[in-house]
Amino acid sequence: MTEKNPEKGYVALLGWSLNAIDAVDRFDRRYVVVAPPWAEDYCKQNDIPFVPWDFDRLNERSHELAHQLDDMGVDVAIPIFEETVEWAGAVNAVLLKNPRLLGQAMLFRDKSLMKRRAQLGGIRVGVFEEAHDRGDVIRFLKRVNQTLLKLDGDPNDPIHFKAFDKSGTAGHRVIRTPEDVDNIPDEEFPALLESHLDGWEFAVEAWIKNGKIQFLNISEYVTLGYSVFVPATPELEAHRERITEEIEKLIEVFDIDFGFIHPEYFLTSDNKLYFGEVAYRPPGFNALELIERAYGFNGYQGLVLAFDPKTTQEELDAFFPEEVVDARGHAGCFGVYPRRRVVSRLEVPEETANHPYFEFHELSDPREQKVAKRSAFGTHWGLAYFFGDNAHDLRDLLKRQEELDYYI
Amino acid sequence: MSTRNAFAREGQTGDSDAALARLSGTLDMAIERLERARPFAKARYQGPVLDVLGRIIAQPGGLGVVRQRAPRMDAAGLFAGSDWDRPEVLLPQLVGATLMSEDPAFQALETASLARFLAVADGEARHDNLHQEGARHFLTQVLALNLKDLFGVPDEAARALGSRYELKRRVLGHIADHVGLNDVLSVLVSEIWRLLEQRSIQVGVVKDMIAQIAIALNEKGTAPGSTRLGAERLVSALFGPTTASRDDPGLEVYLDRLSVADESGLSREAMGFARAMHDTGLVSDYHAVFLTWALDYGERPLIPEALGLGSTGLDCWRHYRGLIEKLVRSAVSPATPQAAYGLAMLLERGILHHAPMVPALERQLSLSLQGAARDRIALGFVPAVPPETQLLAGVLQVLGQPLGVGQGANPTCQSARAIAMWALNDPDYLLHLITQMAEYDTLQMQFEGTPINSADLPLGLAGPGPIDADPVSVLLVAHLDRIYAEMGRLCAGRTGDPHTWINPQFHGWWVSRDCAVAVDVATGKLAGYEDFLRRFFAAYHPDYNGGRPLGHPQPAGIAVTDAQQTFVGWHAIAILRVSEDQAGRMRVYFYNPNNDSGQDWGNDVVVSTSGHGERYGEGSLEFEAFLSRVYLFHDEPLRSRYGQEIPADLIRTARDQALASWAADRQPEPAPEGT
Repeated sequence: MTEKNPEKGYVALLGWSLNAIDAVDRFDRRYVVVAPPWAEDYCKQNDIPFVPWDFDRLNERSHELAHQLDDMGVDVAIPIFEETVEWAGAVNAVLLKNPRLLGQAMLFRDKSLMKRRAQLGGIRVGVFEEAHDRGDVIRFLKRVNQTLLKLDGDPNDPIHFKAFDKSGTAGHRVIRTPEDVDNIPDEEFPALLESHLDGWEFAVEAWIKNGKIQFLNISEYVTLGYSVFVPATPELEAHRERITEEIEKLIEVFDIDFGFIHPEYFLTSDNKLYFGEVAYRPPGFNALELIERAYGFNGYQGLVLAFDPKTTQEELDAFFPEEVVDARGHAGCFGVYPRRRVVSRLEVPEETANHPYFEFHELSDPREQKVAKRSAFGTHWGLAYFFGDNAHDLRDLLKRQEELDYYI
Repeated sequence: MSTRNAFAREGQTGDSDAALARLSGTLDMAIERLERARPFAKARYQGPVLDVLGRIIAQPGGLGVVRQRAPRMDAAGLFAGSDWDRPEVLLPQLVGATLMSEDPAFQALETASLARFLAVADGEARHDNLHQEGARHFLTQVLALNLKDLFGVPDEAARALGSRYELKRRVLGHIADHVGLNDVLSVLVSEIWRLLEQRSIQVGVVKDMIAQIAIALNEKGTAPGSTRLGAERLVSALFGPTTASRDDPGLEVYLDRLSVADESGLSREAMGFARAMHDTGLVSDYHAVFLTWALDYGERPLIPEALGLGSTGLDCWRHYRGLIEKLVRSAVSPATPQAAYGLAMLLERGILHHAPMVPALERQLSLSLQGAARDRIALGFVPAVPPETQLLAGVLQVLGQPLGVGQGANPTCQSARAIAMWALNDPDYLLHLITQMAEYDTLQMQFEGTPINSADLPLGLAGPGPIDADPVSVLLVAHLDRIYAEMGRLCAGRTGDPHTWINPQFHGWWVSRDCAVAVDVATGKLAGYEDFLRRFFAAYHPDYNGGRPLGHPQPAGIAVTDAQQTFVGWHAIAILRVSEDQAGRMRVYFYNPNNDSGQDWGNDVVVSTSGHGERYGEGSLEFEAFLSRVYLFHDEPLRSRYGQEIPADLIRTARDQALASWAADRQPEPAPEGT
């Protein structure tokens, strides 16, 4: 464990993430991991400070956790996963004596509430509706396509289906036909329905302290669910000023004083920015790792700084580099899905293996020979990492990967 | 022989230079991430390093890059959480297959591990658990075991493996470039002879190495000389020990030749086999089929000649011919040729004259393996012959070569030692245990009157037991291990070392009931050490114990140290006898259940396995040197006074050697100790 600074805050990480623990263990803040009891032995063996906790549905016991952490002297709780965001809100409401934080967390956890709040605050959003059953979905699909003046027999424009409380691409489905609707399992309701926006999709990672953006990264999606890279191409970075304004609106509308947000946006062909959704936790797809590769700072340690009430502005200024100009290159990753129905082994395509931008992969060996048919966006079998000087080359390289077989 | 040409420096060109430089940069980045990670998070960062390594080793010059970074990767934790993290226990015979693994990560891991051995062998790096000589020795063994792939023209099977095989060749070539191949063959030959002189029951690895030598000699030839002579002696013992088998014609052709051989020709065959077998301890497959064939040869008995029996053996043959023929028929086959050597040595020991032995072996012949016991034997050995044949062959070997029992790569020195001591001392009891296990899947013993039934006990240290040992061990060890652990539990709460009570109860009445321990069990510090040393002299040294030779083997505990005299661990051995060697120096001869007794324990305490009066399977040390590593021994409780007249300088010698090694940090505070 790195020498801890007793003058600085004491943080609780809500949720089990070895990457996060590893990073924070190397940082100068005291910490404790709050995670399910199965992690206890592991923590004991590895001297990881630990409080066992079951994060099922938020219940009256959240108070118990808050007081337990308060008694330990913990200053703030940091949510690591979508499922712990409302727990962190409840705990921080007590630790920071700010009841509003719980309500704020509930907004982040409900995609429909989140969207309405954004709309009320004057942020541009697409057409959306809530769905409680399959009938709602069919109706929305029809209405959206009627609006688009489609004739019977024309292919439908797709709509997006997102389970209320799932994160990232889990529970995210693209719906084109009534058949797609039949394939939605019951447990994914209720859900949010959105019209499809054709445009440039990207995400933002923003570290916030005292209501101010401390570092703003733009992650450019090459293809949603497959690939992303940072910093974005110069063409997208050209919109940085507008994007910054949008983030400031979010901060205002959601009344965010500190922490970390991860919103998604569309830039449509008519040059309008549409807000998709926002999460109050680290992004999936190892985006923090890409940022570390490009900029050299550890995103989880940045999280600790952003949450810790005892962090000073000097510390923040010293920790975060300057956006874009300080990047050492562009770092991207590609989520690999098997393309064939039956695969027997992993073999990185030769043109990828020989490409100077290819760094390494974390792909798992095919455990089962039969490939499950992809419903929703599903889970990829691992990531391949790339790094290089030219954003356009990197983007094209990531796009190209979609046509290659990693599993044969 | 020159291999420099065959493995000339891997050529590099501009393009591949640039690629290699780039990949090296990526590797360094991946290593840095691994270095930064906390121990508990290492696993996540190992994969990327291995992935980059996999691409680097495919590049010309890549192996050099890997070697340069090997110590750093090791320190960063590349091997953490895997078997490779403990280079001292890695088995050279597994390396070849891993280098050709289907999973590139394993190829990369093995290559990185070998590169680390290379760095240590070259003196470029140091490793806590690996010294320079050990690293060099390991690499030599790896080369020896894979000579075929170093020299040979790849066969169809190898060609089908394509780049995987190519990588293996390049890695071996790289090692040969650094370690030098000139002495691999001679090192290999003398290594094999050194191992053979210990007459281990398990000769699989040695046979593999000899097969590799045969291929190398065939492909490459060597300069004439003593190395070649020694090598050819080994190869012929295995593949063509006699006139009719010299050209290694295959078993069928050989049997044809036997059918037309005349009387004197058969006699020559029998004697040729016997000579090769007793010379090396190895039995050729031809020998096995000859013995089976000879059973049905009506003219005259060829078995005694083919087993090379001496006077005791011949006497047993005359008395028990029927039983012996049954044993040959049931135990000796091309899948179990070593049973012939076991049988010959068993007869030579004369133990058939011990009344219970003949009925016990008859029972063994009729034994049918049941249930889990059958599955275990089937799991551990090739299915060419039934498990009963494997077990019977194992029984003959254990009884013929008690000191050839080895523990394999398992923490079961106690159980292996027990099997060896029973085979030596109580052979009919051992057969009784085997029957219990084979038929009822349990062992029944007692501890100070409390009955113990192994089937009711939880798994011991060895888990479900070894499968890399001889058949008798495969059958018994898992259950012996449970009983041993249970006896430990029954000793809970007693002050003192539990072996005091366990050893006599576990092994038999012949283990002396009193026990001296050099360290205080609770603190691990030396306690009453000088007294301990004196007592050992008085119990075991013929000059100070009234000239009484040791009757039964006695279990003892030693503190094993490595060549740097660093403490490695506690280990169970058995003291067999104490006597003067040819030079008149008093030596302790002992049995070490470790598979290879020849070990360097540091500061010139080097266990000898031959050349100092050792019998097959014995290790030996000069008395004081041996004593300096003993921490526990058994002694008769009724001895009234001991050790008064032992010269102080003898005690000091042993004491100083102990304090310089395993006991360095075990001195009790305050300093003056003992009586």
